[in-house]
Formats: sequence, structure tokens, C-alpha cells
Amino acid sequence: MENLGALSLILAFCLSIYAVFGSVVGKWKRRPFLVKSAERAVYAQWGLQTFAAAFLVYALLTCDFRLAYVAAHVNIAMPTLYKFTAWWGGQEGSLLLWSWILACYSAIVVWQNRSKFREMMPWVTATLMITQAFFLLLITYPMSPFEVLAVGKEIRAVPDGNGLNPLLQYWSMAIHPPTLYLGYVGFIVPFAFAMGSLITRQPGDSWIHTTRRWTLVTWLFQSMGILIGAGWAYAVLGWGGYWGWDPVENASLLPWITATAFLHSVMMQEKKGMMKVWNMVLVSATFFLCIFGTFLTRSGVVSSVHAFAQSPIGPYFAVFLSIHIAATAWLILDRLGYLKSEAHLESVLSRESSFLFNNLILLASCFSILWGTMFPVISEAVTGEKISVDAPFFNRVNIPIALFLLLLTGVGPLIAWRRSSFESLKKAFLWPTAGGIVLAGVLFGLGIRHPYALMSFGLCFFVLITVAIEFLKGARAIAAKTGQNLLRAMVELTHRNTRRYGGYIVHVAIVMMFIGFTGAAFNKERTLQVAMGDRFELGRYQLKVTEIKEGQNDNYSWGHAVVEIYQGGRHIDTLTPEQRLYSAGQGQQSSVVSIRRRLHEDLYLNFAGMQDGKAIIQAYIFPLVGWIWLGFGALVFGTLVCLVPSKVKYEFAKTRVMGVAQGVAKPKAVQGD
Amino acid sequence: MTRRAGRLALLLIASYLCLAQVSSDFIAPAVKRVGMRLACLCGACKNSVGDCPMIGCHYSAPARARIGQMLDKGMSDDAIVAVFVKEQGLKALVVPPAEGFNLLAWWMPVAAVLIGLLAIYKWISHMRKPAPVPEMDPSVLDKYRDSIDQNLSKLE
Repeated sequence: MENLGALSLILAFCLSIYAVFGSVVGKWKRRPFLVKSAERAVYAQWGLQTFAAAFLVYALLTCDFRLAYVAAHVNIAMPTLYKFTAWWGGQEGSLLLWSWILACYSAIVVWQNRSKFREMMPWVTATLMITQAFFLLLITYPMSPFEVLAVGKEIRAVPDGNGLNPLLQYWSMAIHPPTLYLGYVGFIVPFAFAMGSLITRQPGDSWIHTTRRWTLVTWLFQSMGILIGAGWAYAVLGWGGYWGWDPVENASLLPWITATAFLHSVMMQEKKGMMKVWNMVLVSATFFLCIFGTFLTRSGVVSSVHAFAQSPIGPYFAVFLSIHIAATAWLILDRLGYLKSEAHLESVLSRESSFLFNNLILLASCFSILWGTMFPVISEAVTGEKISVDAPFFNRVNIPIALFLLLLTGVGPLIAWRRSSFESLKKAFLWPTAGGIVLAGVLFGLGIRHPYALMSFGLCFFVLITVAIEFLKGARAIAAKTGQNLLRAMVELTHRNTRRYGGYIVHVAIVMMFIGFTGAAFNKERTLQVAMGDRFELGRYQLKVTEIKEGQNDNYSWGHAVVEIYQGGRHIDTLTPEQRLYSAGQGQQSSVVSIRRRLHEDLYLNFAGMQDGKAIIQAYIFPLVGWIWLGFGALVFGTLVCLVPSKVKYEFAKTRVMGVAQGVAKPKAVQGD
Repeated sequence: MTRRAGRLALLLIASYLCLAQVSSDFIAPAVKRVGMRLACLCGACKNSVGDCPMIGCHYSAPARARIGQMLDKGMSDDAIVAVFVKEQGLKALVVPPAEGFNLLAWWMPVAAVLIGLLAIYKWISHMRKPAPVPEMDPSVLDKYRDSIDQNLSKLE
């Protein structure tokens, strides 16, 4: 019985290999039945992987300690939710989740396109199944989640397991990894269609139209995964750091950045038929960075807080990545003729140019993060000496880049497609620029001297004004025409072009997050040893530890400090930060912080234990941090708006000069659009 | 009565101030200042010695105690940092030093932006050049003209 999971994974691996050959040979030799059977193999391997996943979950929930994975990540006293989340709490289980999500995506893609893109689909299937076979190979051979504990030939169960890492026993850990994986894995679909399009020499942009929604959904999942992870770190690690520039965090950010660049530059291809090669490069880079991120997390190449234990799978990833990058590069170079731009740039002062700069800055940010992440490895290889590249490096390099990107977020919507005149730009930029400068001036007058903070707040206001102007201009026109009130007209405006106005909502979300990030410049903190009844001050708060309560349940023993919060002598709240000592495993500790959340600042307390009869309290004030989580909500809302079909279907006509009659004067420039 | 109330108020303020002094800051500001230049090498975080939040961290806690001792002896910040670098190597620093090969860490992102700008300049120059326009065969043009004439005659 205990081998059923492993057996189904072996069968799924064989079927995925069959699907690759069936698709390729079927298409090559023109045997439609082979292509069809390859597609059925995709469904079948999904079924087998679903069975294997269900088998593992059942083993986790029932504490089947014959399986090494279950014994390592579950203990009897753990709540059922965390027994379930232990599925992705370890290397083998999380690889199975990765592989299963890919199987789900592949089955959906094949089913959705069962009667569409018949030329391209066999190659799409083959691309998906090559990646699928790779991950199935990993969980079948070197990293099987179904390894059993045995003494000699006899399978033995241990009486209780080690339990899940206490830091992972938190509700958002039930959402963060699957959401992130939905993002990581999903980027394979646009990549597979891009490859299908290249291999079959598709003349048009059909792969872009097909994968537009996929990319957006995947980007949404990736964004959610990153931000939920940030929220988890903020609430669990005990020091309020939502982003630490750890290699694994960076690995999740890299494909998100290239995907964001792709979501912008793809508009150039849709509207102007430009940047086709670049879009191919971006979509491929996003996929490779997803695989690279997975490699970085699991190979132990760089030291990380998150990384799973060092494992032997690093070389597998290196080989897979090298082959894929080489094959993709060759394919793109070989098909350059099919990727020629259909239009030309009419003016440097145009929306097209702003997209170019947007892409440049995003890619520069991506490169600097990748460079900083890998530099310790590179430096050690060259100089033989280890170095540290920690948060201060990333902040110094990336803050200016991020501020420039924020500027472009505001500039882009103000510049027209094709060409803008200096006069129109002056008019468009007047109020947003004045607003940004005035706000920065007012904040300076109020005593803020942090240059980046002043710039950031000014730019945030600049972007907000540009977005507001865009909404107001359109809504006023609709209101004047239909007699609707302004709010109703704004909803109508958004519904008419959901992609554009949903995109603006996402820009507002980014601004909200920047407000939250900027607040970090004004953080306050104190770590104190406090006797019972003592008061101490932090900012405008007075805090008094009145009591330490202790207790125990099956899973952990706990102690929490009761801290009364006063402001101006008036009692305003009671916070109870807690410390836990888990009974399973090696008795690991974890903190449950207590936070008084307000939009202007969070008061954040961590109870770090007792020393010399006094409570060690870590108290922090995090100004504006709540805006990050608000921005997260706005980002999800904006992206969902983008996914709603527009009420008005816009056609972007592309005009090209096919030739000129003899005797007719040649045009000075070729017109696009 | 008023004098007594005043004394009582003074006593209350004095007791409050005394009580407030009972708590002690865990990390002295001077220790924190130096610690912010040194990486925490515990392997479980990516913080500096100055802001590592783990109270019993096996690297930062003793490192902070040593920094405190060295400050008490009157050593300068730079001298203290140099002691750690001598013992641990360059990895003791929170960021790579801007010298030798490690200069690349700082300059490569700038170089990437410059290369990107150059690429954009080249691309814009290329994309603004009109594409070579093929000469059109008069017979093709005549075909289109005939077609237009036919369509117009239908309209009439």
C-alpha cells in the first residue's frame, strides 16, 4: 500500500515522456492520433499525480509515520491545518506540489485548446511535458516524498514525528507557498506558447493573445505569494521585517520583475507590432528565472534563511536550465526573420519610449538583485574569500532604481502613443509635478529631512495626480454625454477599457506600497529588560508590563506578557506578545507578536523571553506599514479588473506601407498604427 | 493643603521617573552604531550585528558584548570593525568593501543601466529609420485601381 504513491509518480513520469514523444513525432510524421494520445497522456499523468498528492496528504493527516517525509514534518499533536500544510513544509513535498500544479496547468491548457491552435499545440504540449518530466524525475528518484522508514527489509514506523517548523505553523503559511507556486509554475504556459509559436513560425501574435490572461493570472498569483510571504515575515519573525533581501525572497522577485516588464512591453507588440524579439526574451527569461529560483532555494548554492537543506538536486537543475537556455537562444536567433517589427518609432517623445525606459529600469532592478544575490558566490570563486551582501547593499542600489520606476509609473500615462508635443507634455505634467513638489516642500517644512523619503512621497503624489487626472478626464466626458454622476461614470469608464483602468488601479496600489516602504525611514525601536510594573516609553506611547501568563497545550507551552499601552497618560490598549516552546522535535521556540495596527503606524511588540526575572520586550513603531497591506488589496482588485472583459472591444489597426507606385513621392517615414 | 498636594505631585513625578529608569535598553546606541557595519554571521538571518533581533543569537550577542568592551577601552568604530574583519575576513562586513574585485558589486548595476541606455539609443535610432520601401509593380497597382473602380461603379 505504502508504495502506491511512488508507483503513481513513476507511471506519471513515463506518461509525461510519452506525451513529449507523442506530440513531437505525431506532429512531425503527421499522425494526428499520436498527438491526440499525447494529449490524453497529459490528462492521465495529471490523474496519477493527483492520486499521489492525495496519498501523501492522507498519510500526513493520519500521521502515517512509516513514511520518512511524514515523520520528519508532522507530529501527532499538530493541528489538522498544519498537518495538511506540511505537504509543502519540506523539500520533497514542496517539489510534489510544484509538479502537481504544473500537471493541473498542463491539463487545463490542453483541455482549453483541444480544438484550437492545432499547429502549435503539439509543441506547447511537448514543452510543458519536458518540464513536467524533469520535476517528476526529481520526485521519483532523488527526492521522493514516499520514502519509507525501514530496518533491514522490514518497514517500521516511529511513534511520533518531528513536527513542522514552528515558524511555518501560522495561517498565512497555508496560503503563501501554494500561491507563490501557482505564480512560478504558471509562467511556463506563456513560455510554452512562445516556443510553440517560434517552432511553427507563426506569423502573427496568436501566442500573445492566447496567453495574455494566463500571464496576468500568473502574475497576480506571484504578487500575492510575495506579499503574503512579506505579511508572514512581518507577523511571525518578531522584528517586523517584511523584506530582508534573502536569496530566496530575491528569487521570487526576479521572475515577477521580468513578468511585469513583459506585461508592459507586450502592449507594444499588440498595439504596434513592435518588440517581438524582446517579448520572446522576456517571457523566456521569466520562465528561466522561475526555474533558477527553485534551484536557488533548494541547491544550497547560496546561504539563505529559507533554503531547504542542501540536496543533491542542484546539478539536475543546472543541466535542465543550460539545455533550455541554449535551445531557446538558438530558436529565437533562428527565427529572427519572423519576429521583425511591423511599425517604426515615430517620435522619442511617445508612450512607446516610456515603455522602453520602463523595461530598462525593471531589467536593471532585476539584474542588480540577481547580481547582489550571486555576488558572494562569484566573489568567492574569483578571490577565494567569502563576502556578505546583505540588506544595506540591496537598499543602496535598488532605492534609486525604484524611485525612478515610480516616476515612470506617473510619466507613462501622460504621454500619448505615437508622438507627443512639448506643449502637450508641459500641459499634462504641470499639475502632477506641481503637486509632487508642493507636497515634498510641505513635508520638508514639517521637519522631514530624509532625502529619499521626501522624493518618494513627492513622486507618490505625482503618480496619484496623474492617475486621478486620467480617471477624471474620461469620466467627465462620459458624464457629459450620458448624464451619469462622476462616480458612476468612472465605473463605466473602467468597464469600457478594463485593462487600461485596471492597470491604473494597480499603479495606485504600487504607490500605496511605496508609501508603506517609505515609512521604514522613520522606524523606531527599543529592546528592553523590563521588570513587572515598569513603564517605558517608545515614541508617544508609554508601555507597562503588568503580568506574565503561562500555559500549555498538547503542541506547545506558552508564556505571554500583558503589556498595557498608554498615550498621554490615557490607557488606549492592551497587547499580549507571546512566546512558544514546541514540544515536538528539538523543542523549538517561536514568537507570536502582538500588533496595534493603525493606518499611520503600527505599534509592534515581541516578547523575547525572560532574563534575570525581567521580561525582554522588543518594541517597535513602524510608521505607514499598513499601506503595504492596503496596497496589496488594491493590487489584487486592480488585476481582477484587468481580467474582466472590456465592454468595448478595441481594435488596434496596424497600417504598414506595402509599397509605392512608381512616380509617387516616397514617404519620409513609415507610418505605424 | 495646596503645598501638600504639590509635594505629592512632585513625589509622584519623581517615582514615575525612577520607575522609568528601572528598565534598561538591551543594546547601547554606540554598540548598535558599530554593529550596523558588521554582518550577523549566525546563518539564520541576514541582519547586521546592530539590528539582529534574536536575543540569544550565538553570533550577534557575543559580538555586541565585544564591541561594548572595545568601546569602553576607547577604540574607534573603524578599529573595532577592523578587528572583526581580521578575525572573520571580509564576510564580517555587512556590504562588500568598495575595493579590488568587490568594486564590481557596486559598479555592475550602474554598468547595466548604461548598457541598457545604449541599447535603447541604438534601438530608437534603428526604429526611426524608414524601412526600405519596395517599388510596386504597376500591374498590381492597376489591379487595385480596377477593383476600386468596380466597387465605385456598384455604388453608383
